[in-house]
Amino acid sequence: MALLEMHRVTKVYGEGASQVLAVRDIDLSVAAGDLLAVMGPSGSGKSTLLTIAGSLEDPTSGEVVIDGQLLSGMSRNDKARLRRRSVGYVFQDFNLLPGLTALENVSLPLELDGVRARRARELAAAALEELGLDERVAHFPDELSGGERQRVAIARATVGERHLLLADEPSGALDSASGEAVMRMVLAACRRGLGAVVVTHNAQLASWADRVVFIRDGRLVDQTAIPPSPESLLQQGSEP
Amino acid sequence: MTLALERVAPVHRSDTGGAPARRAIVRWTWRLFKREWPQQLLVLCLVTVAVAATIVGAAVATNTPLPANEGFGTAQDIATFSLPSRSFPSELATLRHRFGRAEVIEQAPLVLPGSVQTFQLRAESPHGTFSQPLLSLLSGAYPRRQDEVAVTAGVASAFRLRIGDRWRVGGQTRRVVGTVANPENLLDEFALVLPGAIAEPTHATVLFDAPRVSAASIGPTVRSVTHQAPPNVVNPESISLAGVTLGMLLIALVAVGGFAVLAQRRLRSIGMLESLGATDRHLRLTLRANGVIVGVAGAVLGVLSGFAAWSAYRPSLEQSSHHVIGELQLPVAVVVVSMGLAVLTTFLASGHPARQMTRRSVVAALSGRPAPPPRVHRTVVPGVVLLVGAFLLLTVSGGMIGGGMPELVLGLAALIAAMILLGPFFLSGVAELGRRAPVAVRLALRDLDRYRARSGPALAAVALGVLIAVVICVAASARYGNVLDYTGPNLASDQMIVYASSHASGAVMVKRGGPEQRGNSAKTAKAPPLAVVRKSVLGIAAALGTRDVVELLQVPVTLQRAAPGRNFTGPLYVATPSLLRAFGIKASQFSPSADILSMRPGLAGISGMHLLPSGPGPLHGPGPGGLAHPVIETVSALPSGTSAPNTVITEHAVHELQLSPTVSGWLVQAPATLSASQVASARQAAAALGLSIETKDDAPSGGQVISYATLFGIALALAVLAMTVGLLRSETAGDLRTLAATGAGSRTRRALTATTAGALALLGALLGTIGGYAGAVAWFSASTLNGGVSALANVPLRSLLFILVAMPLFAAAVGWLVAGRQPPVIAHQPME
Amino acid sequence: MSVRHALLALLSEGPKYGLQLRQEFEERTGDVWPLNVGQVYTTLGRLERDGLVEADDAHEDERQRGYRITAEGEKELAAWFGTPSEAGSPPRDELVIKVLVAMGVPGVEVGDVIQIHRRHLVELMQQWTRIKEDEGRLDLALALAVDAELFRLESVVRWLDAAEGRMKRSSLGPAPAATPRPRLRLRARSR
Repeated sequence: MALLEMHRVTKVYGEGASQVLAVRDIDLSVAAGDLLAVMGPSGSGKSTLLTIAGSLEDPTSGEVVIDGQLLSGMSRNDKARLRRRSVGYVFQDFNLLPGLTALENVSLPLELDGVRARRARELAAAALEELGLDERVAHFPDELSGGERQRVAIARATVGERHLLLADEPSGALDSASGEAVMRMVLAACRRGLGAVVVTHNAQLASWADRVVFIRDGRLVDQTAIPPSPESLLQQGSEP
Repeated sequence: MTLALERVAPVHRSDTGGAPARRAIVRWTWRLFKREWPQQLLVLCLVTVAVAATIVGAAVATNTPLPANEGFGTAQDIATFSLPSRSFPSELATLRHRFGRAEVIEQAPLVLPGSVQTFQLRAESPHGTFSQPLLSLLSGAYPRRQDEVAVTAGVASAFRLRIGDRWRVGGQTRRVVGTVANPENLLDEFALVLPGAIAEPTHATVLFDAPRVSAASIGPTVRSVTHQAPPNVVNPESISLAGVTLGMLLIALVAVGGFAVLAQRRLRSIGMLESLGATDRHLRLTLRANGVIVGVAGAVLGVLSGFAAWSAYRPSLEQSSHHVIGELQLPVAVVVVSMGLAVLTTFLASGHPARQMTRRSVVAALSGRPAPPPRVHRTVVPGVVLLVGAFLLLTVSGGMIGGGMPELVLGLAALIAAMILLGPFFLSGVAELGRRAPVAVRLALRDLDRYRARSGPALAAVALGVLIAVVICVAASARYGNVLDYTGPNLASDQMIVYASSHASGAVMVKRGGPEQRGNSAKTAKAPPLAVVRKSVLGIAAALGTRDVVELLQVPVTLQRAAPGRNFTGPLYVATPSLLRAFGIKASQFSPSADILSMRPGLAGISGMHLLPSGPGPLHGPGPGGLAHPVIETVSALPSGTSAPNTVITEHAVHELQLSPTVSGWLVQAPATLSASQVASARQAAAALGLSIETKDDAPSGGQVISYATLFGIALALAVLAMTVGLLRSETAGDLRTLAATGAGSRTRRALTATTAGALALLGALLGTIGGYAGAVAWFSASTLNGGVSALANVPLRSLLFILVAMPLFAAAVGWLVAGRQPPVIAHQPME
Repeated sequence: MSVRHALLALLSEGPKYGLQLRQEFEERTGDVWPLNVGQVYTTLGRLERDGLVEADDAHEDERQRGYRITAEGEKELAAWFGTPSEAGSPPRDELVIKVLVAMGVPGVEVGDVIQIHRRHLVELMQQWTRIKEDEGRLDLALALAVDAELFRLESVVRWLDAAEGRMKRSSLGPAPAATPRPRLRLRARSR
């Protein structure tokens, strides 16, 4: 079953003459284990696509289904609950709540969902340990490096039973090594059975995905075929 | 991870996250408060100061007057007897029979030879059930034998006594064993002996409890403690509470802006929370919890600092109010209510920003993009409706005999609400006006308009402070400007009037009386011959170090105005040559035909005045012994006190009306301000002769009231500005950075801040003044009793100038000075 | 890439046989550029002809022949390291030529041409990235080589993005001047 399905999703901002079509007629489906990259230049509507996919914004028309639940007609509270239980977000630069330690940041979505603080922290500690951050659990966001912050954000986005990871330029402000580390983690999460959508303008980041879709002016225009295995690449090469 | 997945079984989870979610949100809010409390320092300080001031104010106000049961100890009733009396033993026996326990305190005067000062020799049990609170031991011991005596500090110094001395008192030599005091009245000076140790007591006080029996039915000289202080709505507690409520209203206005800025600062965090699945209720909780945290912190800090201030001030209050005040003798109700109000205020103030916050799009919040400033209160209608309503209510209230308190309060509330609603429109007006100003001014004014959500409450708060000041100033100048019903301090602080009859001064006497005077007044004292009294008064004056005594004569006539409204009040003494001489007035200074001389400015210009014979009978205009349209002349050299001879009848008029003056009292002019102990001993001396005295009471002068009110209003407005201008400017810190990048230097920064502060101050002053005058016009126009609108002719010009010109200039100047240095908040705006 | 100089560099470490040279070359370059034996011997032959290397003896069988670098060869190698790699003159890139030409040809949508290339490039990058996926078994030389290829491909993708953006802007004609704000107009009027 697809974790996320979007059918003919269109989003229009503004009215009348100042109307802007942010995304139009988007069809998209993400299954468990999928890492999908949405690639496009800035202003192409890729961030809007992501906020609609995560129920933060309502589409003007079209349908979004997360975990088999149709979003349209859902109350704000129900959407919030869906986000708590199914969707994890990773943003470009601001991900962690100041004033909470790495551990508390990760345990927050669980607590918001009613898990007792102690229990939530055990789970959060486990998630952080898995990402090699067990020594940074008690640090506040401003004591962590940019790469560490993004890793904590990924831990938070995947903690508990969440299984749809939505990332908006997750390594945008990082150097290429840290960016690669972040994408490795996203990929590892997908290998464990999560579904992920990463929107980016960066081809190197996008190339970590199993499938790359290209977005231009709010439309999905193209996508890559399932790539051949790396071995074939090595065999084909000769002296350039 | 997989393991974790299995362990989070969706069992006990509610749709909204339940208590764990709320706890998590509150924990986050608390963390942020701990980290960023300086950002909320202003609101925190305001709440703290308000609570502390309320506690100290209420404690001082409730503890300053003598306690209602002063002199009663723990008894409910007191009976006084003159001794020796043959009926006393039987009456005492009756009391004991009817009411059980009755404790007797016997007293005799104790005269210091060569001094007018009198003291009491008192026989009282230090361990009596009722009388115990009337005694405290300062050093040594209580007398245990007939020949032992304890004295108060005053007696000890007057008689040069020390513990261990032998002292002949009450017809017997006694040994001084201790120093004592009456905690309920530190001015009470006496020598204490064992009950029954006074050979010839002159009177006795009996303390007893007569529950559910009216004092009068027991006997003519019996008083009950409950009859001392009739329950009154206007008591120190209620005044303090009204003050703190008003203060909290102002704080709420400031806090709304503060919390809105806070919400703005936390915008991205809020967006982040929402993306994590926090419900709207959770999001609002972040700000609401913050409100409560600030309120609780402010309340606790306020109570602590209030208590500290009270502890520090208590000893000097005991000194000045002459009775012992317990450390914990705080008005608990006021403390509790003001704490509650503090929390309620900040909680309610966080409500509006909290609701605003959840209306914002989460995408905009996440990007940290401030939402376009919301256009608040687009319609003038509610404000105008409220203004009209306020006008009507105030008119109705003014027209009522006795004021119409509910209408007055409702009217003022409506007026304030109207100003809060109308304030923003002034802001857009001023932005229009500033369109052609230099860039910094234009930018500052436009920001005031754009960020109305913040500047609106600030403006309303400034205006409210000014409104209060203006209303007080206008009302005070109207009231104090009333030359007929003359108001002000009764006497100068170095003046004292000794009245021939103890009834003449009425309440003044009873208010300040100690227990022994009550005993005296209970006696039906026969007036001693005038010559004797005159000599005694000279003696009292001599004790104060002066021979400057003016005899005050009165004639049975009153000054009346035959028109509705307030009428002439105050004494009308005869302008005897000695009185005129005492104030340096020569006969040449007024015409020989003048009937009345007065220092009250404007009294001479009042028409329809009559001199009417006083005494029983209807007042139907001038009859025999009366005089229509007396000639009134203004003589400014007369004293201004309301009890002093500020208005006098000339001997010419006295002759014409064929009146015979009687001596009513003596005005004593002391060389310096009278001290409390001088007043107390003069009072005791006067009381011993069946006389009473009056000295300066606490009533402020009109000028004082106006100055205080003006200062209060300006201080309040400036405080609000100090708090809000910072908030407003930090809101637009981004603009400032851009400005700095385009080469604007500290001058621009200074001009921005100065304009913001000055414009807000000026607008607030204008709005408050207009509102205050509108309210006053409405009230006075309907109140003929208070002289109608014409009563407002006396404009407190100086105060208005201060408020409308000096205050905005000052605000702008401070803004200019303070904004010179680049504030760190602009240098690196906190993002995470 | 110069196989000629790479072999010189390997020989500068000491005399080596032809097969040994091939094996070391592949190891050093992370097996990214496979080299066949014939290519090695052809190159060595040319180097010998130019006097940059010399064979130790004239073995009939090439495989038995050891090679060592000459003084002339050392000089050449030093000069190679000291010269910046050719980057000055624009390469005659087929892709660039294709896009430039496509703009003028009627019936050809340049955007489609660009997208076809972009997709192809990203697919290539995906394949290269896959090599990096198993971090534990990734050796440094390979990682560096893969990164080099990824950055090269990315730069082409970015050129395509930039080209697309530039064409889009020019097709819209000269950008209309932003409508001046009322404030600016007002100020102008008041002058």
